Amino acid sequence: MSLRADSVLRVRWWLSFTSDGARCRGPAAGNGDLVPIVSTGNTAQVPDEPVLRCAELTRRFGERLAVDDVSFSLDAGEIYGLLGPNGAGKTTTIKMVCGLLEPDGGTITIGGRPAAGDLSVKSLVGYVPQDVALYSDLTARENLAFLGRLYRLHGALLEERVSEALELTDLSDRAGDRVDSFSGGMKRRLNMAAGLLNHPVLLVLDEPTVGVDPQSRHAILERVQTFGRGGMAVLYTTHYMEEAERVCDRVGIVDRGRLVAEGTRRELVARLGQRDRIELGAAGDLERLAAAVRTVPGVESADTADHAVHLVAEDGRRILPAILEAAERAEVALNSVDVVEPDLEAVFLHLTGTALRE
Amino acid sequence: MRAIAIARVSIRRIVRDRTALFFIVVLPVIVILIVGAAERGFTTFRVGVVDLGAGQAGRQLTTAFEHSSDLAVSRYATLAALRKAVARGELNVGVVLPSGMDVTEGRGGTVAVGVMAEQANSSQQAAATAVSSVIAGQGAKVQAARFASVHGSGTFEENLARAGSLQPHVAQVGLRSQTADSSHNVLPEGFSYSAPTMLVFFVFLNALAAGASIIETRQLGMYERMTAGPVRRGTIIAGETLAYFTMALLQATLIVVVGGVAFGVSWGDPLAATVLVALWALVGAGAGMLSGTLFHTPEQASAIGPTAGIALGMLGGCMWPLAIVSSTMRQIGHLTPQAWAVDAWTSLLSRSGTISSIAPQLAVLGAFAALFLVSATVRLRRVVA
Ligand SMILES: Nc1ncnc2c1ncn2[C@@H]1O[C@H](COP(=O)(O)OP(=O)(O)O)[C@@H](O)[C@H]1O
Ligand SMILES: [Mg+2]
Repeated sequence: MSLRADSVLRVRWWLSFTSDGARCRGPAAGNGDLVPIVSTGNTAQVPDEPVLRCAELTRRFGERLAVDDVSFSLDAGEIYGLLGPNGAGKTTTIKMVCGLLEPDGGTITIGGRPAAGDLSVKSLVGYVPQDVALYSDLTARENLAFLGRLYRLHGALLEERVSEALELTDLSDRAGDRVDSFSGGMKRRLNMAAGLLNHPVLLVLDEPTVGVDPQSRHAILERVQTFGRGGMAVLYTTHYMEEAERVCDRVGIVDRGRLVAEGTRRELVARLGQRDRIELGAAGDLERLAAAVRTVPGVESADTADHAVHLVAEDGRRILPAILEAAERAEVALNSVDVVEPDLEAVFLHLTGTALRE
Repeated sequence: MRAIAIARVSIRRIVRDRTALFFIVVLPVIVILIVGAAERGFTTFRVGVVDLGAGQAGRQLTTAFEHSSDLAVSRYATLAALRKAVARGELNVGVVLPSGMDVTEGRGGTVAVGVMAEQANSSQQAAATAVSSVIAGQGAKVQAARFASVHGSGTFEENLARAGSLQPHVAQVGLRSQTADSSHNVLPEGFSYSAPTMLVFFVFLNALAAGASIIETRQLGMYERMTAGPVRRGTIIAGETLAYFTMALLQATLIVVVGGVAFGVSWGDPLAATVLVALWALVGAGAGMLSGTLFHTPEQASAIGPTAGIALGMLGGCMWPLAIVSSTMRQIGHLTPQAWAVDAWTSLLSRSGTISSIAPQLAVLGAFAALFLVSATVRLRRVVA
């Protein structure tokens, strides 16, 4: 192995991480005396049916197949993540689930009942849209009170639900302030609060942490986990691998409209076998670097994203010297090499040949 | 219930918007005040008089013209000067008092008083009518004087003077009722003119501007959020219709109350006025919702909406009576709902009209309301989806 002195700044080995099996399922620490929302229970729920079942969902926009034969289901208390890059079809899927888009094919049942056009089924669902949907010239409380009335809540119960939703999203002290005075993170939290007013059986969150400061993001993720423990079924979309790993019990990996794999984190990672993901940080021509390392025996796929080349390789640690040589031949100066233990990003790269981009 | 919640939130947002409030509350009152103070004289016709040696009879007729509240009289020295003033439109009509008028009258002969008008538009016809009725009133006095001098005592001149002094008690009644005809097709002067026209004007204009709120609600993703909940599209549309109707009704009521209390406007037959206001609020609601589906951005709606409202208001006779424009412009004006509403108010305020006398206008306004509301509903269904 011959390396130029400055070519490798660091070689990191991520050997220690918690396995998903160890994921805490007990009551959240630091939760105070807040009682997580427990779905009030839908008497119309068909026993032994999953809360949400999507079967062979398909949706086109003109020529483009936005969602292609997607099937999945989720049970009460389960957090299911749809993980995929922008344009994968996550929002389209969610809008079909929430009755905002008609599927071209396939069926959706919620609590065992067909969702199409049934208002009583709609009132079982809490929808948190990808783009914040609130009246910016009304206060937080006014927004929630209005949305609560749409669920036929009124009087003391409405007030109670509004206060509860504000409390769950840590916005009680700003309840009387207009939304346009809120930070991005606060708007996102209020956006989520609005989805909780009806004590949904199924909570649908479409990328709830996009553009949010780390603190708000942490708070949102924490809360979502609490909802799952409280018995709610949560459908969660994201293009952040770490989020899916952190909050979701099961993950469906979507790419170009197709659900390419599904399972717990452990199940998905197991599909990698002995493969590793390697991240090559470099300043030069990344495409050239990617092309060079693809020729190395053992490298399955390589793609560029976020100023790095990501590759999945059979027994990555063993072939690392060959990869570094290929980089040198391509005359691209590396400034970091990370061999990452198998994660969902590696699974995604392995299954789709493309890296998940920020 | 949910429709009411939707209506309430829409109204609350409009009421919370300071600019909107200015346009809804402050501006109409200011404009009614200014226009009411300035626009006196649509029912006063400018009359020029040239006296070619008509003697006492001519002087009396001129004085009679000057006493008529419908006429503003200027005297001209020569026939040519009078002709020029009529041709330039400085005068609605010119009156020529022939020489030897008193002599002819005294003899009981026929006097030809020349009335000149440039082109026969309705205001000139009305002016000519007003002049004729003054002449007719004077004619009655001349006849009385002749009757007295033939069958009683005194000379013709003495009796003519006496008939003139009796005028306030006798002839005035006939004179009034005749000249009233000439102002039937315009609203009364002052605030009674400005308040009803500005009601028509501002209800419509502000409704168009308020279309911005529908566009904003769509852009904010609120319609999507509502339809994700247990809310039908029809409920949302009903809620918005209710909101726009209520806002238009509040705007109209404000002007009716301020007009009545502060400016002493009498709004005519209460039932007819109520129906007219309600129907006009429906027209406004439909137009406002339509504007919310036609424009793409809130800025467009709040810029183009009022501009369109002003243009339609001008065409429809909110700024000046359609009675004074050419018949072509009057016909074009009646393509706007405003013209029909102003016509209806004119009937109520100037002719003591009732609901049956404004039935044709109400029918046309009903058709406008239906047209706007139906097309707005059709388009809003797509917006909400
Ligand atoms: N209303 C639409 N009209 C046309 N194409 C659309 C529409 N909505 C989404 N798409 C397309 O469908 C695909 C999936 O989009 P989306 O579901 O928003 O993806 P994601 O939420 O995973 O980013 C994209 O290619 C997108 O451009
Ligand atoms: Mg999306």
